Amino acid sequence: MRRLKVLLFKEWRESLRNKMVVFGVVLLPLFLVGISVYMIALGEGIGDPTASIVMFNTSLMYFLLLPTIIPLAIAVYSIVGEKEQTTLEPLLATPISDLELFLGKALASVIPAIVVNWLSFGLFLAATRIVVGAVPLQALTAPWLASIFGLSPLLALFSVGVTMLVSSRASDARAAYQFSSFAVLPGLVPLIIYSSKQTLVDLRLVVVEGGVLVVLCAAILYLAIRVFRREQILTRWR
Amino acid sequence: MIQTQGLTRRFGPRVAVDGLDLDVPRGEVFGFLGPNGAGKTTTIRMLAALIAPTSGSATVAGHRLGEANREIRRRVGVLTETPGLYRRLSARDNLLFFARLYPVQEPERQVERYLRLFELWDRRGEPAGSLSKGMRQKLAIARALLHEPEILFLDEPTAGLDPEAAKTVRDLIETLRSKDRTIFLCTHNLDEADRLCDRIGLFRTRMLAVGAPAELKEEMYGRRTVVHLASPSPGIEQALDLSFVKKVERLDDRLIVSLADPDRENPALIRRLVELGAEVRFVNELRVSLEDLYLDLMEGRDAKA
Repeated sequence: MRRLKVLLFKEWRESLRNKMVVFGVVLLPLFLVGISVYMIALGEGIGDPTASIVMFNTSLMYFLLLPTIIPLAIAVYSIVGEKEQTTLEPLLATPISDLELFLGKALASVIPAIVVNWLSFGLFLAATRIVVGAVPLQALTAPWLASIFGLSPLLALFSVGVTMLVSSRASDARAAYQFSSFAVLPGLVPLIIYSSKQTLVDLRLVVVEGGVLVVLCAAILYLAIRVFRREQILTRWR
Repeated sequence: MIQTQGLTRRFGPRVAVDGLDLDVPRGEVFGFLGPNGAGKTTTIRMLAALIAPTSGSATVAGHRLGEANREIRRRVGVLTETPGLYRRLSARDNLLFFARLYPVQEPERQVERYLRLFELWDRRGEPAGSLSKGMRQKLAIARALLHEPEILFLDEPTAGLDPEAAKTVRDLIETLRSKDRTIFLCTHNLDEADRLCDRIGLFRTRMLAVGAPAELKEEMYGRRTVVHLASPSPGIEQALDLSFVKKVERLDDRLIVSLADPDRENPALIRRLVELGAEVRFVNELRVSLEDLYLDLMEGRDAKA
């Protein structure tokens, strides 16, 4: 546990000094919050209930995409960074266990992703209140809140699991990044479903997707931990 | 401290290390010499419990490889080929991170001690990426030493260091030897190996020779006395009729005489040469460098021939 904490803080200290990571973690959410607010305002202006539904659903999708994109950026930079700086071998030569290393890398990406997503949601509510004149009540309904506070951590976990799984098997970090990009797909599922139905977010669908994600996360994390082995990392992460 | 029996590592069809048998006692500085791609790094990785052998067994710091890998990693320090530092973190933060991963008492104090030892204390707040190559190497050595390991694996520790810094590292190795630490040293600097190592192993996928540098040289080349003559003295080498002389070669005005025991036989040799009319200017022992030995062994030459 002590080593896990040490690794976690090292990862964050390093990430904070990496402009590309800071850019991804700060600017991308701000940009998506801005678009979401704009879309809500646009939907209000049109006065068409169908258009308003589409705008709300798209906004929600951004908050389901963010937790998959942010950990991807942090985790890949963390792995590429280790490789570029040739720090993997000295790190693996310490008594840190494979599980501690895995969890350290994973949590260093998951925790900021969840926190940033929640902060972005708060910012979205505040900005909408200022721009539209009222907090959008749709965003405070059970399906929205379940999506933001229930689905998004699962999506972040899924994204990190995929990244770690791919990274520990791929021989090239860039290839790992490209393959890991598939981790954003579950975040798009709600949009596809809701757009085709042109209905507001449904709690049952959120629960179903949550259930599927729990199973997927468990499977991905189980696999990722199983293949996250010192020797594999040392000989394959080139 | 390190014992291996038939330690072998294959990567697919390629054999990187083939049946390594080794015994390095506590407090020894063991030089592990070989060309690039010989399998030295793979050997270090196996002994540091980073990768598993394909076959064979090893005991490192009293623990069997594969059974107590974490304990082995706790007891060994590894200096990798490249410094491998977190470039965005300061010199001090780099060391603190690693100190905290080991069971180091008072990590801050230990870090300060090593930063001062390697004269990096004044640069402690600077990102490791901004330090010179030599400073980064010193920082990496400090990192390998932080937890006071019983065994230290050093892969090219003086590569890229200026003469002064290289001397600091060599002095440190001497100090560690005096403190009964075992050092497994990979180096291409053969002069350094000759000076520092109690024993060396010449390795290319398999061990070609092991022993103290002087013993290996004697074993390979025998001992030879060089007699410098004031005048050419033609035919004198044929006239030299002493039973203990194994072989005589002439090189301009020098005679190179192979002897079994020069300390005992040199006086009789000189006496006989003078009797035969030779004017001896001076006599010395032919010193073979470790480089000669290394090149002969690596190229498979029979040195005595």
